[in-house]
Amino acid sequence: MYPIVSTTVFLPLLGALLVLLMRKAPPHVVHGIGIATSGVTLLGAMIMWARGVNETGFAQLEQIDWMPSIGAAYRVGVDGISLPLVLLTALLFFVTFIYSAKVRKQSHAFVALMLLLETASIGAFVALDAILFYVFFEVSLVSMYFMIAHWGHEDRQRAALMFFIYTFLGSLPLLLAILGLYLGSDPYTFDMRVWISNPPLDGLAAMLALIAMLITFAVKIPVFPLHTWLPAAHVQAPAAGSVILAGVMLKFGTYGLVRFAYQMTPDAFREAGVVILIFGVIAALYGAFAALAQSDLKRLVAYTSINHMGYIVIGVAIAALAADPAIRATALDGSVLQMVSHGLVTGALFLLVGMLQDRAHTRDMAQFGGLIKVVPILGWSFVLAAFASLGLPGLAHFPAEFQIFLATLQVEPIAIIAIIGIVITAGLYLRAIAQVFLGDINKTVYDNGATAATLPDLNSRELLALAPLLIFTIVLGVAPGWVLDVIHTTTIALPF
Amino acid sequence: MSFITIAIAILAPLAASLLILLVRRMPVLLALSGMALGLVASLALLLNVSSGGSSELLLPGLPHMPLRLITTPLTVLLSTLVAVIGSFVLVYAVGYMKSDTEKVRFFATMLLFIAAMQTLVLAGDWILLLSAWELIGLSSYLLIGFWYQKPGVKSAATRAFMVTRSADLGLYIAVFILIATTGSSEIAATLNTSGTPATAAGLLLLIAAMGKSAQTPLHDWLQRAMAGPTPVSALLHSATLVAAGAILLIRTAPMLTPETLLVIGIVGGVTTVVTGLIALGEADLKRMLAASTSSQYGLMLVAVGAGVPLAALLHLIAHAAIKSSLFLGAGVFQHSRETTMLEQLRGVGRERPKIFIGFALAALALAGIPPLSGFFSKDAIIAASLNSDSIWVLLPFALAGTLLTGSYMARALSILWHKNQGYKNQQQKSSQSKSVAGLVWMGAGLAGLVTLAVILAAAFPAMKTLLNTPLAENITTEFVPAILGLVAALSGLLLGWFVPVQRLLGPLLSWANNGFSVAGGFDNLMVRPALAMARGCEKLERIFYEGVLAIGRMGLKVGRIVRRTDDKGIDGFIFSFVDSTVNLAAKARTLQSGLIHKELAIGTVASAMILAISLVALMVY
Repeated sequence: MYPIVSTTVFLPLLGALLVLLMRKAPPHVVHGIGIATSGVTLLGAMIMWARGVNETGFAQLEQIDWMPSIGAAYRVGVDGISLPLVLLTALLFFVTFIYSAKVRKQSHAFVALMLLLETASIGAFVALDAILFYVFFEVSLVSMYFMIAHWGHEDRQRAALMFFIYTFLGSLPLLLAILGLYLGSDPYTFDMRVWISNPPLDGLAAMLALIAMLITFAVKIPVFPLHTWLPAAHVQAPAAGSVILAGVMLKFGTYGLVRFAYQMTPDAFREAGVVILIFGVIAALYGAFAALAQSDLKRLVAYTSINHMGYIVIGVAIAALAADPAIRATALDGSVLQMVSHGLVTGALFLLVGMLQDRAHTRDMAQFGGLIKVVPILGWSFVLAAFASLGLPGLAHFPAEFQIFLATLQVEPIAIIAIIGIVITAGLYLRAIAQVFLGDINKTVYDNGATAATLPDLNSRELLALAPLLIFTIVLGVAPGWVLDVIHTTTIALPF
Repeated sequence: MSFITIAIAILAPLAASLLILLVRRMPVLLALSGMALGLVASLALLLNVSSGGSSELLLPGLPHMPLRLITTPLTVLLSTLVAVIGSFVLVYAVGYMKSDTEKVRFFATMLLFIAAMQTLVLAGDWILLLSAWELIGLSSYLLIGFWYQKPGVKSAATRAFMVTRSADLGLYIAVFILIATTGSSEIAATLNTSGTPATAAGLLLLIAAMGKSAQTPLHDWLQRAMAGPTPVSALLHSATLVAAGAILLIRTAPMLTPETLLVIGIVGGVTTVVTGLIALGEADLKRMLAASTSSQYGLMLVAVGAGVPLAALLHLIAHAAIKSSLFLGAGVFQHSRETTMLEQLRGVGRERPKIFIGFALAALALAGIPPLSGFFSKDAIIAASLNSDSIWVLLPFALAGTLLTGSYMARALSILWHKNQGYKNQQQKSSQSKSVAGLVWMGAGLAGLVTLAVILAAAFPAMKTLLNTPLAENITTEFVPAILGLVAALSGLLLGWFVPVQRLLGPLLSWANNGFSVAGGFDNLMVRPALAMARGCEKLERIFYEGVLAIGRMGLKVGRIVRRTDDKGIDGFIFSFVDSTVNLAAKARTLQSGLIHKELAIGTVASAMILAISLVALMVY
């Protein structure tokens, strides 16, 4: 069978090399290559989706010996947890390339870096070898650092460095945990499938490994109190960077939480389940309340990410605590679906905020007002995405959050207080809509000389970038079955 | 066959809504045809059900929890109600919105609203019901906020959505409890829940219903929602948004435990009195009608609390026709004088006698004067409270509610009819009615609904047979409740017509005008704490971010020391790291050109890698 997984992973890298070879090419050709490459990659992800997953573990396996002496190999494959994330990643990169086609500042480097980031992102989700995973994980980090430091906004250098150090120091414990798992396995191997089917550590060693992994993923997700890099990085990152950061890279944290922490040290995870649950509840509520206090639209969206990712942490913790396999599957189904929903909805929101900022050179909500009359397509798109983000039924977040909360009530009823978050997010989004889009048109003259009354509505490039995300937001809300079936195939068959 | 009909009842308005948005022209034609098709489908379902049919439509949903649409006598009757009222209101809206430039958005949202409500009444499982429940919240938000540029409109829309959504948490948690207890998301299967889960779920459902049906203390948003166009008010006060709360309790009545029923009865009773008094003291016609809606839904809750949901259902149906008539009449008066303030509408009834007659008929029906429909439904409620175990709690509420209904309706009629000579001399010009565009359409819609309000009672026996519940036997027009109700209604009417409101309410008047808000209401009890909490989080963020103040100073007392060392430790470390690197970079920049701290960052990675590898080496040996 044709190795479609590896092709999908490395196609963007090929594109990046091509861009670097064509040094003389004008920007629109370079962006064209970026869009085309990510488009073909998306096609690859769709073929992977069509090939599907099975109940017995990982499907679509591809393997090449790499360092047989230490048990490391190139191993990739997917299951119901990773496959939806691969599709999401490919889609988000595709729309981001379309949106970014306007970037003129060193477009060669920008496109090459984005393509490198795409390879690293898809690679991290399909890697079945711990070393391979770690490499992809770190490469994505470096790419995102340059993205923020070079194409970001006013205070980008400091934010980039903070992002880098925070998440880099954060990922060291994971390396230690990986080595611990390696040393615990017999015979020595980095094969994640072996670690999952036969967890190598137990007792104190497992707990220490779990704590190390939790630190890494808590930084990445991010979970209170290790989240402080996120608002800074998001605010300073270019819109394309924010979309990828929120849509894809935060998922490394939650994906790792499931794949590594939950699956490789299951007993320790269950023991620590209540603590993890508490962190999830705090993160969900704290993120919502902190978002309510923001006046910068981008910071607001960034904080709601902390809230939504908190629900995922809750879902995974509940899955670990649940005794009934059906409830466990419900919690995990909801958590994985929430990762996809968050990618789509927050991706759309960051694109929209980026579009507003392109026009008015500000993100301060007080500087806007009455925009729905001026830029109706942008405005109604924001309303749709905002209602999706606040969990309205018929839109992407509802089925995910419904399942997470349903399972939560059955396992740890008290943790249901996190549901207050859905009221707070409703309040903050309605306030944002009222302030930015409703009421009288603001009279402020912006930095670039534009006024609110003269802002142009979305052009076709922006519409093209936005539409897929909004369409999938509705499709996933109305008919989540086609994604849930894939997720459920794996979650219901998990042995613990 | 009939499962296609169910789909059409929902999809016809929905498709019309989407089509209007897509083609962006002929909104009126598309809206009316979509609504007509939906009405035909609902009537066909009614025909099918009355000949004993029932059907179920399964749709894919969550794993092991399919979505269901069901036709039972109750769901189909409600679906017909929604379709009938919706049709008349839409006809009226054609006239009302004649000069509005945003017909596309208006009619598309109205039909979305109707489609969502049809889904809610026909839903056979909790997930679909919950979804429809939230979607009617969304559509009413969009409709209340329709004139978003007017002052006060956006806050009214936001408040309506926020109050109802806060209460909706009750529905969410109730649904989780019911699914967790029974393992099924099918509504019918969860209704045999008993014991503590049933009481807990029942009380939580009540909270959700209180939000949607604007029951005290959550009644305040409904009056503010008057900021929307009048057809919207007519729809959301009759068969849609507000009705959802009572419908929820009527449908789940078999599950409600005696304790829950008593609480429901008391909440309804308090609401009917409190909002009745507000209506009596209200200076604005539409806001008065809004308060009256809460009051009437309070009466329905009394009926549910008395254990006779059928009486609540009959009153819901009668009220839907009556209240939409009243709003449509009020809309014509509003267009005549460009205001809804009662004092400025003084005497408008004489200038529009036909509309006034319709309005008055509906008002008398609401007051409960035979042989109009409201008499029979209110009689059923009074009878229910008479026969209930908690008669001494519920009966006074039911009678007080009836008395108040008579009073505020008579007061409104009196003001609309009587000309005040002094007032007229002062404002001769402004009080002249101007010609109203689209009056034919408005009149047609109003006439249809008033007719319904008058004759609906004739269909009550048929409805009882159709619903065929054992509870139906409880409802017969008995002598005692009929007389009690009539006395209360008539004395109310007389008081309202002859006694000025200042005398009636006395010192209560200013409090009533203030919506009987206790401790500042929703703002002080919910919004302020939430915002305070948000500001607290933001403060914490700044502390985190700047690393200046110790975290331990705010926050919980428990674990304060642990938290302080942890947070300050992690954050302080990172920030000192960042700052020193930035400083170093700034210094280094004078020596070298280029992006020095990127190299530095890479250097950091490299050295950390080496560190990690040496650690491993140490561990291995």
